[in-house]
Amino acid sequence: MSLKPKRVDFVTTWADLKETVKGVVTLGNVPHTVWYNRFSDVYSLCVAYPEPLAEKLYQETKKFLEEHVKSLLIQVNGSSEEQLLTVYYTLWQQYSQGMDYLQKLYSYLNTQHIKKQKATDAELLYGTLSYESPEQMKEIGELGLDLWKKYMIEPLKADLLRLLLGAVHCDRTGQSLYNEKSSTIQGVIQSFVSVEEFKKKNTLELYETVFEVPFLEATGDYYRQEASRLLQECTISLYMEKVLQRRDEEDLRSRKFLHPSSYGKVRSECEQRMVADHLAAIQNECLTMVQLEFQQDLRNSYALLKSIQGGLSVLVSHFMEHVKQQGLRAVVNQTGDNIAAQFVDGMLGVYSKYKEMTNNVFANDQQFTSALDMACASVVNHRFNANQPCKSPELLAKYCDSLLRKSSKGGSDTDIDDKLAQCIAVFKYIDDKDVYQRFYARLMAKRLIQQQSQSMDAEEAMINRLKQACGFEYTNKLHRVFTDVSLSSDLNNKFSNYLQNKDRIELGLNFYIYVLMASAWPYTLNTPTAFAVPQELERSVQRFEDFYRLQFNGRKLTWLHHWSQGELKLNYLKKRYIITMQTFQMAILLMFENTDSLTCKEMMEATKLNSDYFQKTVQSLIDSKLLAVAGDTGEVFEPSTVISLNMDYSYKRTKFRITAAVHRETVQETEQTHASVEEDRKLYLQATIVRIMKSRKILRHNVLIQEVLSQSKARFAPSISLIKKCVETLIDKQYLERTPNSTDEYSYVA
Amino acid sequence: MADDIDMEKPVEKSTVSNDCVVKSEKMFSLKRWNAVAMWSWDVECEICAICRVQVMDACLRCQAENRNDKEQEECVVIWGECNHSFHNCCMKLWVKQNNRCPLCQQEWSVQRIGK
Repeated sequence: MSLKPKRVDFVTTWADLKETVKGVVTLGNVPHTVWYNRFSDVYSLCVAYPEPLAEKLYQETKKFLEEHVKSLLIQVNGSSEEQLLTVYYTLWQQYSQGMDYLQKLYSYLNTQHIKKQKATDAELLYGTLSYESPEQMKEIGELGLDLWKKYMIEPLKADLLRLLLGAVHCDRTGQSLYNEKSSTIQGVIQSFVSVEEFKKKNTLELYETVFEVPFLEATGDYYRQEASRLLQECTISLYMEKVLQRRDEEDLRSRKFLHPSSYGKVRSECEQRMVADHLAAIQNECLTMVQLEFQQDLRNSYALLKSIQGGLSVLVSHFMEHVKQQGLRAVVNQTGDNIAAQFVDGMLGVYSKYKEMTNNVFANDQQFTSALDMACASVVNHRFNANQPCKSPELLAKYCDSLLRKSSKGGSDTDIDDKLAQCIAVFKYIDDKDVYQRFYARLMAKRLIQQQSQSMDAEEAMINRLKQACGFEYTNKLHRVFTDVSLSSDLNNKFSNYLQNKDRIELGLNFYIYVLMASAWPYTLNTPTAFAVPQELERSVQRFEDFYRLQFNGRKLTWLHHWSQGELKLNYLKKRYIITMQTFQMAILLMFENTDSLTCKEMMEATKLNSDYFQKTVQSLIDSKLLAVAGDTGEVFEPSTVISLNMDYSYKRTKFRITAAVHRETVQETEQTHASVEEDRKLYLQATIVRIMKSRKILRHNVLIQEVLSQSKARFAPSISLIKKCVETLIDKQYLERTPNSTDEYSYVA
Repeated sequence: MADDIDMEKPVEKSTVSNDCVVKSEKMFSLKRWNAVAMWSWDVECEICAICRVQVMDACLRCQAENRNDKEQEECVVIWGECNHSFHNCCMKLWVKQNNRCPLCQQEWSVQRIGK
């Protein structure tokens, strides 16, 4: 075969070619040799001499295909209503397959003549060329599909749509009315997409206009009716169940029949008709669901309302209110000794219950987790009495103390560790973190110096947790307190070495000392009472002071005897008792070494204790039956009251402690703590305001308030009036001034 | 006076209390004492005149810089011959500009450094 252009007789060549084309589009049997000959025929026609016959070939082919499609249409129309889809689908499969082959057979024509005329992609994208211009030649495959669209789909589209919708409707209602297999329906629907696949833009246009739009409309109608039917038949609970089921079925159906672009549209149409249209009905039911905690209903309503714009808001707010009410109920009205534990347990119970609910029912949706947080925060910071500060920080601190303190209850280390970790969950909700810090520091200090701490590891772990939650500054002093304890241990070792080396001095007792750094510990240097150290202890004090002066330079020691304690052995009774007691208690008992009774005046003068501490100490010893008072004395001990040693004392244990009485937290102490927190807050706020103003120079009142609020959030929630007061103070102190031309603006005075 | 007698007698006893023989005779014997004391710098004025922070706390500069390490112990106090005291860190910077005590203007000479 020669590639040289030659004269060709169009009529005879086309007649041959036409036969083959017919064979190809009907998927008839076309032998290889014929195929190759026709292939070169196409070539010869295209390059024919004297004039190329490509244009003519194209027109003739077009005419042939047109007639072919028209004859197929007649065939489809001839079939019965029930068979129509099947026939259409069969012919379409055949035709589209045939077009694939034909495209190949005409490949020379396509590539050499048609592609050249066709607009490039770039022109299509950016140019003004209209792709659909009629005189434009199409590649043969494309031409064939276009003809199918024009002469098959256009005249048939109403019928096809009606039958398709009918079939889908049958599928929805579960009737097996339709004879077509689902692959047929899917195939027919897909043919709307396939005939436009050659197009560069809007390939789904036909699918959408011919099928999707009316389909969505029909879907909407169907589910609108379905929804009102279901609502009449069943409760909201059951309704939601059914709707979810319907929605999921419809999702599956979409996947079975439709083009992927429609999945979302169908789903949202279902949701619109069945959920959004009846939003009020569902939302009205939410309150009951939440209050009675119907998990399945809640899960369903969450699943349904989630996809509706603003649909969840009602459910979220009911949930929040419910958690809040449950929380308040759990923490209110607590009585008894362990209020702290009741509070924390109650709070944690509510928290973990609803945490689990948000997790299981609401898929950890962010709206619900933040509602839970807000509800918990409002419970934790709720003031049952508006005039008193919130008790939560104090209670939580006491609970932590009870966990970290040595106790007979025991509990394994990991157990305690878990509980402390849970405390952090409550801690995070506390607004007044500074109040917690105060209480915690006081209790921790007491635990450490009275050697009542369960485990130093647990102590340190807790400090680290607080540090993680609130930052370095928050736990700075707690860390310092903690290091002082270990520094003290070193110091005691050095001290005993010192005693050994220096003439083997004996102190006559087992001495241990905590040396605390002033300012880090929650104690002041002002000792609350004078105290004359008993002779028995005097030597230890002297020796240690000598030693300390050698060790350090420029330091002075202040003895906090009201915090110290010792073990005293009682030798005058039937049994020997070893009792751990306060130094003040020890001092009083030691006076009875040589006498059985003393007057209060004598004792006070010897110990130099002030009357408050004296009363408390003597009372504690009388309460523990070690001392006895002659006669009934009433509230206070008069100087003349005679106190005597109880020589018949007995107790079931021989080693115990009687320290607690003196150190019981009093109401005044709690008030003091709150008062000192208040003072700290003022300073903190003033510092914050100065810092802000120093960097911003001029600021409006409201902006300043906002800045202060956001900066102090981690520590406490200051009241606006307190901030205003601090601003006033700073104006008085001339750190700030009001700007002359505006009433609500401040400027920083350098 | 009654308490004179009371105070006298334990003194005699305690001096001999190391003797095991006598010890068993006593009504009370001290087994252990856990004392608590607080240390602070032995200063006349609790606030450093240079940085206006309490001398017991680290100076302003140290608080701002050493946020995370435990070097606060290093921020000690220094006393001049005039008995005025400041943070050592503050004074180090001060003497570079002016070798006089900021409070009394006497020539600065170190009396002791805290430890």
